[in-house]
Formats: sequence, structure tokens, C-alpha cells
Amino acid sequence: MSAYLISMTTYAGFFMILALALNLQWGLTGMVNFGIAGFYALGAYASGLLSAKAGWPLGLSIPAAVAVGLVAGGLVALLSMRLREDFLAIVTLGVGEMIRLVVLNEDQITEGPRGLRIDAQPFRDLVGQENYAIFYLCFVALFVAVTYAICERIRTGPMGRTLRAIREDDVVAGVLGKDVFRHRVQIFAIGGGFMGLAGALYAHYTQNISPEVFMPMVAMFIWMSVIVGGAGNNRGLLIGAGTVIMFLEGTRFIGDVIPSLDAEKMSALRIIIIGLLLIVTIRLRPRGLLPEPKFTYEPRKDAGKPARSPT
Amino acid sequence: MTLTLTRRGVLAAGTATLFTPAILRAQDGDIAVGSLTPNTGGGGPFGPNITAAHKRVAEAANAMGGILGRQIRLYQENSETNPETAVRAAEKLISVNGVNAILGTWSSSVTLGVMPKCQTAGVIQMCTSSSSDIPVADEKGLVFNFQPLSPIWGRAIGNLVKARGIENFALMALNNDFTRSMMDAFVETVGAAAIINEPFYYNPQQSSYRSEVTQLIADNPQAVFVPSYVTDFTAVYKELFRQGYEGLVITTSLATGPEFKEAIGDAADGIVHGFPVPAINSPAYKEYLVEAGLEDTGSVQHPFGTAGRDQMTALLLAMEKSGATDGPTVAKAVWEVTTGEGKTVVYNLADGLKALRAGEDINYNGASGSIEFDEEGMVLGRDFQLSEIKGGEDVVIERLEF
Amino acid sequence: MSLQILINALVNAALIAPPAMAFSLLFGILRFPNFAIGGYITVGAFAAYTLNVPLGLPLPLATAGAMAFTGLVVWLAHVLVFKPMEGQSAVTLLVVSIAVTLILESVIRLFYSADVRGFDIPLQRPYRIGEMRITKEQIEIIVLAVAMGTGLHLLLRYTRIGRAMRAVADNPMLASIRGVDAARVTTFTTVLCGAIFGLTGVFAGLDLVIEPLVGWNLTIPIFAAAILGGIGSPYGAILGAIVLGLAEELTILVLPSTYKIGVGFVIIAVLLLVRPQGLFGTVEIKK
Repeated sequence: MSAYLISMTTYAGFFMILALALNLQWGLTGMVNFGIAGFYALGAYASGLLSAKAGWPLGLSIPAAVAVGLVAGGLVALLSMRLREDFLAIVTLGVGEMIRLVVLNEDQITEGPRGLRIDAQPFRDLVGQENYAIFYLCFVALFVAVTYAICERIRTGPMGRTLRAIREDDVVAGVLGKDVFRHRVQIFAIGGGFMGLAGALYAHYTQNISPEVFMPMVAMFIWMSVIVGGAGNNRGLLIGAGTVIMFLEGTRFIGDVIPSLDAEKMSALRIIIIGLLLIVTIRLRPRGLLPEPKFTYEPRKDAGKPARSPT
Repeated sequence: MTLTLTRRGVLAAGTATLFTPAILRAQDGDIAVGSLTPNTGGGGPFGPNITAAHKRVAEAANAMGGILGRQIRLYQENSETNPETAVRAAEKLISVNGVNAILGTWSSSVTLGVMPKCQTAGVIQMCTSSSSDIPVADEKGLVFNFQPLSPIWGRAIGNLVKARGIENFALMALNNDFTRSMMDAFVETVGAAAIINEPFYYNPQQSSYRSEVTQLIADNPQAVFVPSYVTDFTAVYKELFRQGYEGLVITTSLATGPEFKEAIGDAADGIVHGFPVPAINSPAYKEYLVEAGLEDTGSVQHPFGTAGRDQMTALLLAMEKSGATDGPTVAKAVWEVTTGEGKTVVYNLADGLKALRAGEDINYNGASGSIEFDEEGMVLGRDFQLSEIKGGEDVVIERLEF
Repeated sequence: MSLQILINALVNAALIAPPAMAFSLLFGILRFPNFAIGGYITVGAFAAYTLNVPLGLPLPLATAGAMAFTGLVVWLAHVLVFKPMEGQSAVTLLVVSIAVTLILESVIRLFYSADVRGFDIPLQRPYRIGEMRITKEQIEIIVLAVAMGTGLHLLLRYTRIGRAMRAVADNPMLASIRGVDAARVTTFTTVLCGAIFGLTGVFAGLDLVIEPLVGWNLTIPIFAAAILGGIGSPYGAILGAIVLGLAEELTILVLPSTYKIGVGFVIIAVLLLVRPQGLFGTVEIKK
């Protein structure tokens, strides 16, 4: 049982890094990203390919995955900054799917649908078989902590104020002399870098990745984590990510108690329960379990619905 | 920050424990066995049969007093045909339920995806997958594949249709490892000269297959070969029919099961499909039909359900034979109870147990085939059959027997 | 070959255009990209299947029933899920709408399993006109799509409720000042769009296969067509569908066909970057 908890907490760690990154992009700055699975895949394949095929040491391949995520995030941001948020949602979803299609089709490089096998694991020989699972959990926790620290630092620092101003009204922020464009590109790139990191950590954990891992469903789980936890609040979404994993995994055990539910019905029920979790949370706590602390002014209620105001 | 995490970890641990009261874990006396089947997603049409077969064999064993005097406790999980979900399900089966074997994985990416965890934990895997990476990745000799690798399919279908005197083919395939390597082997067998188009792939879940079909039949080939699964093939075949293609359509029998015939109706007549088949005339297959409550139609039913029966039976017989339940020991015994000549041939678990308990050496002949493994744990020859749909039924054209 | 591509594109467009119009109408009233349409279409397909195959009704009757049932489901989803969340941002609603699709699909899977199914009508061979091939069913789909486009046009242009719908879509505040009953308009729009999604479910079941993911697979092409046409502009959606249909058919000539499902996305991205208001939409002043 404890081995299972260790591995699920490790998974929660991947989700937490992804959720922190999304919170940076959306919760703090108001930029939508539905291509999370794509950035996650980029990181996983970058580190996986560099270590498994090019023979790079992990000390280089994992940072390279972060760099790939950074660059990809920056490029997507550069190209799509003009877009309204709901359109940006669809474009980023498209970016994520295109990344998956490329990984799937360019099989001379990525092994395509066969999946890529990755033997290398960080500090494997040093730690040894016995304690490796717990070591990896700590390894991931360390990165969660670092990511959290950086995100908190951005949020509470002067940059955070600027970002919130951009989120609430980019025009006003621009008028006030803030370089809206540069801030947005920077934040989207940093978020992309963190997602790449999560991907690399995932790849070396499971040691076998294939395009099917990176379906848009992953993005959906991260969005749920952020919305359920409370957008804008880094601590809230750590809880959010934990909650989503708990429901995702906890519902598995229903099948063990009620054997009459076969595996097919069980997985349908599981998705229904997770969907309801999101809807019920938003109904009962519209701003998430741990809402973003309020500022001294009242945020615009209709943020994100530009067309509703008179034009 | 690290502190926050630890607290959260403890919290998560506490909650998860709430989710798993002690009754969930296998009781000390029970033998835990895991079943990880594709009940939704790409393998959705096949998974439930495998699940049901695993369950029936486990129940039969328990009704006979169990294995080594212990009851079998079966834990079932759905892989959703997705390696991401499957890995977490496998973690649960291994760490929480304490299984020593995971049976029923179907798509190669799932089998390979859970393999690192299984190898580390010394857990046996029994699958019906086709990727030739499987024997390579199995370093500890714990994996048994109950389905021939897909190049074997491609060669067999190629040989069977070549014998029909078809001169030119056009090819397209669903984009996955299984169908890709089948297509390559098919091309090798019929010869590149006979292929009149540039073979190409399509993805599942497209909103239409019109342009692919137009391209496939552009040069009016005598026959088209479309290795695929049932969901996409149904849509592709509708389109072939609607675009007026009159030549021969060849595919795998995976794509042309009863649901396909039900959905397509009379228009399905004339499709030729090939498949490594259950040994239809074997007593084990007939028993399977009775167990699953099916009528003997003479055509192939439950291609993967039969493999599910054989997986569980082989595993339990191997446990009885070795007197152990740990992965590596049982894995060695799997060869002993399935492979080799001069042993007592048995067709089901009950007979196998009786023979073992009488001290005989046994060779289990299964419902999906005779179940002989090579030293890599890959199943050796299975019968291969080419059928044609006539009047909504499969009519056997030819069989390759091994 | 080349002429067949035109036919293929036309049939694709006829399949995509009505739901793209409905998506546009819904967007006009509710103001977020509704991913729940995938679930609605699947519901329509399975409702028609249930009436047609197990219950033995002829397909036209089953279609009418499916349209009514899907209208009801869409309305219920609005009342139970989306309406109470009115103050939420468009993106939150978007995420919720994906959850709605997942729930609907899973409920269907719970009762019907993931097996493929088909309606109780025989497949048809095509009419041939020179190199071109088209079936009676495809002609029917095209005719119905054109009829639906015309009907929607007449409704929006010449009826009271249609004008009210346009008024609410253009400017809800102004509409309410001028005495338009927004609640009634919303109810009418959801049920109407639901009926269209139900019909699309039937078309998709005829054209592809009836299975739980059938609606999800159409979602991105529908979005692409609606955005191409200028979101919120129902007529644009028709043209958008035709352009998309052609683009998808032509891709296979230059790119490996495995990239085809990316075409919708690429079109959306390029178009939005070059002309954010869509091909036929008017410029929207931001904030």
C-alpha cells in the first residue's frame, strides 16, 4: 500500500508542477493554455530522446527539456498574443494536438506509436533499487518546491502586480506604461519551461512514453486542478492537483468493494464522478477551494467576457 | 515549502487509507491476480470478453477449492487502452492489491508502458500484443504473449490472398504499430511490384475518411488491404461501398466481428479477412463457447476472450505446478505446463489440476491455440484462417494450420 | 479523382455546416466556446439508434424523436449546469463544457458499451456521373443541410423570435432595455440548437459509425468551420464548412494523411492570426 501511495504522490507531483505552470499563465496573467499535453510531451520526448538516443547525461537532458518548453512557450505566445482568450484556448489546444501528431508520425526519430523506451533514471546507481521510489518522490517534491517558490516569488513580487493588472485589463496596464507584450511572452515561456520539466520528470519515472500518453485529457485534468483549487492561488492549486489525483485514483477502489461493477462500467462511472466534482465545486465554491486572496479593489466581475459590455 | 508538501503527503496518505479498508487487500490466504484489460478506448470492443474470461476461470478455480489450497482473488482494472492510465492502474494492482501477475493487456503501448514497473516488481505479464519490441524489453523472462507478432499476420494474409491470383493491390492502414508492421510484412510477401499505390496511414477518430478512400481506389486496384480495428474500419468500409468500389476488400478479422456485420448489414458480403484463429475444432474452443454462453456458429468468436481464458488457465496451472506464487518461479513453470511434447494434453483448468495432482506432466492446449511458447515467451504458431463474409456469416476460405 | 474531391468536400460541409451554425447561435447567446456539443451530438446519435433499432421506428420518425430528445438534453444542461454559473469566465465555462461532454459520453458508455452500431437501413451504392460518385443518402444530407440553412436564415430574418435572438447576440444589454425577454430567447435557442445537434448525430451515425466518441470527433471541425465563418455568424459557418471541407480533402494530396486531423487546427490558427474576426465576421471592438 505505501508503495502505491508513494507512486501516486509522485504523480500528484507531476500534476502540481503542471498546475503551477498553468496558474502562472492563466490564474495570474489571464493567458489561456489548452496545449498543456503538448508541452508535457515536448519535455518528455526532449529529455527521453536526448538521453536514450543521443546518449546525453540526464544532467543535460532534463535542463534541455526545460529549454525546449521555454522556447516553445515563447513561440506560441509570440504568435498568438493578439487572440481573444476563448480563441487562444482553441489555438493552444491545436498546438498540443499538432505536437502529438508530429511525435506520432515522425517515427524515425520518436519511435512513433511503438513508444519510446528510456532506461536512464536520475541517480539510479547511487540510490539503488530498494529505496528508489521514495527517492524519486523526494526528487519530484524538490522540483515542486522550487517551482512553487519561483511562482510565489513572481506572484508576490512587483511583477505579480503587473501581471494581475494585465489580467484584469491589458489596455489599462498598457496605458500605465507596462510592457504588456513582453510580460505575456515571458510568463508563457516560463510556464512552458515548467511543463517541459514535468514532462522530463514523468518520462524518466515511467521509462516508457508513447504519443497516447499525451492526449488532451491531461490538459483537462490540469485545468480541473486549477479551477477546483482556486485560480491565482498557488497553494490552492496544489490542493486542487491532489484532489484531482485522489478522485482519479480513489474511484478505482470502488470496483474492489463492489465486484458487480465490471471494469468498463467502473471507468465510465469514474469519469462521471470527476466531471461532477468539477461542476459541484464550481457551484458551491465559485472561486475554488482556496480562492485567490482579494485585493483592496473589487475585480471586474465580467472579466473575460469582453463582448458583453456595450461596444 | 517542503514542509507543506510533507503535510500534504501525510494528508493524502490518510485519505487514501480511508479509501482502502482492510477488506480490499487480499486476505493473507488468497492469491491475488491482476487483470488489466482495454474496456474502453481503441480496445473497447474486445476488452470486456477478456475480463469475463479471466473471471470465469478464476471462479472455476475457486469452486474447485482454489490453487495450492488458496482462493484466487481477481482484481480488475481498465487500461482505457491508454498507457498513461494503465501505468497507474498497474501501480495499484502491484502495490495495493499485491498481485504477482497482470493479465490481459492488449495494445502494445500499454503492455510496454507497464513493463518497467512489472519487471522491477517481478510481476508476470500475459498479453495479446504484437510489437516486436516486447521480447526485447522483457529482460527477466516474465512476459508471455498469447498472440503472434503482427509481421506473422501480414505474411499469412499475404500468402493466402496471393494464392487467389490477385495481381494488384492498394494499401492503407490505421496508424499504429500493430497495423504498420502488418502492412510491411504484407508488402514483403506479395512483392512490391503488386502494390500499385503508395501505402499510407490514417488516424483513428477522424471526422471523415472520404479523401483517404478516394485516394486508395484512385487507380482501381483489384483488391485493397486495410489492416484496422473495428471502429475505424466500419466507417472506412461504408465509404468504400459508397464510392462504388467493386474489388476485393481485405482486412483483419478484428475489424469484422459481429458488431461490424450488425452495423453494416448485407453490404458486408464479399469482405475477406484473416486472423490467427482459435483452434475452432479444438475441444478447448468448444468448451469456451459453452462457458461464455455462445452458440457454435462455426465462425471465430471472441478472438481475445479465448486468449483471456488461456492466460488465466496457464497462470493458475503454472502456480499449481511450481507450488509457488512469486513471479519468476511461476514464469518458469508456465513453459512446463504449456510447452513440450510427450505430456498429458489438457484442455481446461479442472483437468489440468487433476493431472498435476496425479503427478503427471501436462501440456495445456487452449481455446485460442495450442499455446506453445518459444524461449522468449512468444506464442508459437497459431492457426491462421482466411474467411469471406457471405450472407452475414463468415465462410472459411482457407486455413493455415500449425 | 479531382471532381470526386469536390463531392467529398461538399458532403463533409453538409455534415459540418448545420452544427457549426448551431454552435455559432449558441455562442452568440452564451458567449463561450461550448465543447459540450460533442456530447450532444453523441446523445442524438444514440437516441436515434435506440428508437430505430431496438424500438423499430422508421428512421425519419427516430430522427424527429432524437432531435426532440437532444433539444431537451441541451436545455437541461443549460438550466442545471451553465445558467447557475453565469458569473464565471468564458474559460471556466469552456472547461465545464468539456466535463459535460465527458459525462454524457460516459453515461452512454454505461448503458450501451463502446461497441460500434449502425442504423437499420442498408448501405447504398452510388450514382455515377462521369468520374463522380454520390449516394442518395449523401444527396439527402446535402438537401437537408441547405434546407436547414435557409430555414435558419428565414427564422433569424423574418420572425419575432429570430430578431430577438439576433438582438440578444448583438448586445444583450440593449436588447433587455428594449424589452426582449432574454430568458425566453435563451430557452428557444438552446432547444433549437439541441435539435440541430440531434440531427447531426443522426447524420454522423449514417456517415460514420454510432459510438460514444462520434460527437467528440466532429467537434474540432465544427469549431473550425464556425471560427472560419466568423464566430456568432451563422451564414459564415456554412461557407466556413465548405472551405474546411475542401482544405481537408486537398491536404491529403500534399501531406501524409495522418496529419489530416491537424488541418482544422491549422486553419483556425492561421485565420485567427491573420483575421481574428473570421472570414465573414465583422470587427469586434475589444472591451
